[in-house]
Amino acid sequence: MSLVLVSHSKSLAEGLRDMVVQVAGESVRVEAAGGTADGRLGTNAEAIVGTLRAILADPGDGVLVLLDLGSAWLSVEMALEELSDSERARVHVSEAPLVEGAVLAAVQASVGGTLSEVAAAAAGATSMSKAPGGASNA
Amino acid sequence: MPEIRMTVIDESGLHARPAARFVQAASRFTSRIVIRNGEREADAKSLIALLSLAVRLSSVITVAAEGSDADVALASLAAELSPYVTPIPANTVS
Repeated sequence: MSLVLVSHSKSLAEGLRDMVVQVAGESVRVEAAGGTADGRLGTNAEAIVGTLRAILADPGDGVLVLLDLGSAWLSVEMALEELSDSERARVHVSEAPLVEGAVLAAVQASVGGTLSEVAAAAAGATSMSKAPGGASNA
Repeated sequence: MPEIRMTVIDESGLHARPAARFVQAASRFTSRIVIRNGEREADAKSLIALLSLAVRLSSVITVAAEGSDADVALASLAAELSPYVTPIPANTVS
């Protein structure tokens, strides 16, 4: 199981990748696809396709894609259209919040989770509290 | 159901990286493993459940396991947590 982190910002995607790998360990492949081809804020369907194809070249691998904002969805959709049906079947796009979703998904992947288990772990991030035990200043 | 108790001594409590390591270690065993912090209980194999426990400095936590590999699981998890906790001897009354 691998993760692709899609962000409008290259540095956000790469920084999150570093954090996720430190938390979940090196056993999970995490790729960052952030920013436009010319280094501006935005997302890049071609870069996402390239990242997905590089991962999917390993026939056993599934991919969970996480995104920072909904406007990245268009690029991800365009990227998915470039894939074959059999490649697309091994990719799941998560609606989870990017940071929590990536951490939860990577840890689930690190213990041998399947694509559907890893996607479910990421989906749990939607209801995850930033202040477990209650916020002190709420 | 064998269990171990310990007091958290890390200033950050059980933060993301040790929590992830704990989940990874727990997932290697077939036993059902839970971690308790006060009234709350979490599946030790679920990071989101573990993070929702809000384990902080000085929290007294219990790890309990049930299954054929429960004893070896607890020994392994105690070792995993050792940098962050002080064990509470089994005969101590809470």
